[in-house]
Amino acid sequence: MFKLKNFRKRSLWILHYNAGSCNGCDIEILACLGPTYDLERFGVLNRGNPKQSDMLLITGPVTYRSRERVVELFTQMPEPKVVVAVGSCTCTGGVFSGMYNVEDGVDKYIPVDVYIPGCAATPEYIIDGVLKGLELLEHKSKEIVKPKKLFKKLSFHKDHIDRRGIAGKVGENDGKD
Amino acid sequence: MEKIKLEFDRIHAEIGKFYDKKTWHFMTLNGVALDENTLEVQWLFAKYESGEIVALYTVVDYGQTLPDISDIIPSAVISQREMVDMFGINVQSSEKGLYLDGDSKDHPLRKERS
Amino acid sequence: MSTTTKAVDMQIPLGAQHISLLEPVKFTFTTQNEKIVDVGSDVGFVHRGVEHACSSKFEFKQVGFVVARICGLCAITHSMCYTAGVEKLLDAQVTQKAKYLRTLLIELDRIHSHMLCLSHTCENAGFEAMFMSLMGDREPVMGLQEAITGNRVQFDYITIGGVTREFDAQTAQKIIQVLGQTQKKIEGYIEEFQNNWSLSKKFEGIGALSPEGAYEYNAIGPLARACGLQVDVRNGLDYLPYKEVGFTTITQTGGDIHARNMVRLYEILNSIKMCRNIVEGLPEGEIQTKVRGKPQGEVITRLEAPRGELMYYLKGENKKVLDRVRIKTPTFATIPAMIEIFKGQDYADAPAILASFDPCLSCTAK
Repeated sequence: MFKLKNFRKRSLWILHYNAGSCNGCDIEILACLGPTYDLERFGVLNRGNPKQSDMLLITGPVTYRSRERVVELFTQMPEPKVVVAVGSCTCTGGVFSGMYNVEDGVDKYIPVDVYIPGCAATPEYIIDGVLKGLELLEHKSKEIVKPKKLFKKLSFHKDHIDRRGIAGKVGENDGKD
Repeated sequence: MEKIKLEFDRIHAEIGKFYDKKTWHFMTLNGVALDENTLEVQWLFAKYESGEIVALYTVVDYGQTLPDISDIIPSAVISQREMVDMFGINVQSSEKGLYLDGDSKDHPLRKERS
Repeated sequence: MSTTTKAVDMQIPLGAQHISLLEPVKFTFTTQNEKIVDVGSDVGFVHRGVEHACSSKFEFKQVGFVVARICGLCAITHSMCYTAGVEKLLDAQVTQKAKYLRTLLIELDRIHSHMLCLSHTCENAGFEAMFMSLMGDREPVMGLQEAITGNRVQFDYITIGGVTREFDAQTAQKIIQVLGQTQKKIEGYIEEFQNNWSLSKKFEGIGALSPEGAYEYNAIGPLARACGLQVDVRNGLDYLPYKEVGFTTITQTGGDIHARNMVRLYEILNSIKMCRNIVEGLPEGEIQTKVRGKPQGEVITRLEAPRGELMYYLKGENKKVLDRVRIKTPTFATIPAMIEIFKGQDYADAPAILASFDPCLSCTAK
């Protein structure tokens, strides 16, 4: 039997989206994936596909036109997922806050788990942030399997899920694994 | 920087006469809001060899429609679209929507806004 | 079965989010049997409104640091071009040493920007190992920037009247040493880019622009120099000492991806030579002079950014806040040329061609 959560810990796939940043943080993310900082030693790979990614790295203060794309990408990613905001302007708007086409930070639109400060965020910070996000991802994976633990196996009654039967079993498995 | 004033109805003809693609490098189209109603429009050129800069300019108000010069200078298309967005001035065969929404009522660089 | 094939127009989008793109830009390619016949572009994803903020929210002393945030790759070129304009309006004098230090940082920035572009072109052409190798050799240059200015990407090194820091003899030694190493590496890369099959033959003839087309579409920077045009703003610059430090214009013929790569590689060598000359012949003196007054009048300054000509138009009316700041960025001006190059190419080559332009969308949309 596959134990996906065990493998996910060592092969985190990230999705990177630039929501109006100055490129400074983006090239630092590229530098992280390069050989000197080598984020790949933790199994981290940059993949462009939201449907296969576990972590969303967002840079930039979120411009008017890119806000829909940010939400779209976030919703396309499967659970469990972690959002990391890279750079000062992603956290609060930074130097761009108050400009007419800027939405002042990504956490207005999607929930953010890790904030990485700095203009531009240094590779060391980015590595720290990604690893912090990895811890959160493990935690979230555990939370997701909780209901399954609670009910163990779904019981069926004439091809329908037997809700009453399940409700009767709540708490039965407490303490056991 | 040398400035040459153009008559409004002769903009297209004057630029056509002035521009030679091997001598002049078209830099960009620039707008400067003078007051609430008038706008100075500059076509900026630089000489390839000496780097000498010439600005052809004209003063218009926001109701007027600027001529399209992309048949003389094809790369002017994008600057013209930017002008439409930023100042809300009409340019022939250029529509809004490069940076802002196509139906946006905003003109960020007009004087009354700042 | 009939063998007649009817050409059908097919629309394929690239972007706004795509693995081969660092930044959000959307191209809509209309293709007929793999060949691109028409291109539509949407470049407004990164528009923030810097021009408006510079002429309303920020004072002229702050604007230099704001415009640096337009683009992380050529941040120093933006702040230099702006500062040169304001210094012309204020009639300020800058010491020779400050000018030399400014030139040094601009050239270091050009080295790392070109290396990033080359590695990105390799990655998009499917040569992952070369990407890694170039990224690895780029890091010492980033280290130099950190040693001189204190930050890797956004330096905020240039201020009105001079620069913020100078370096000691130990750092100077390190600069010379790292530049020597990088030069050897780049010479190796030139050999590789010319002779390696997947880097030279694969790129030759792809995404080509003729010299006539370059004049027609006002191409600038490496794009124009790869067609053989002698277009480099550094040639006649009055506020930076490019002539004294050994600048030469690099041109190639062909105008394809290969020629663009070679222009970038030889330019890195030229930049390394200039940096070495600057460190060895650094004049004595102060690095900062006091500047008084408020900007009055209008001025246009130009500077060669890694991607081409950057232009600032400033207008001041003796107030703390400038009346108008117009920024013309290199990629913005080359977009019509880019669209022209895409027509007639295979769709499969599109990401590699796009990377070879070295597009900077955060510059474009401001």
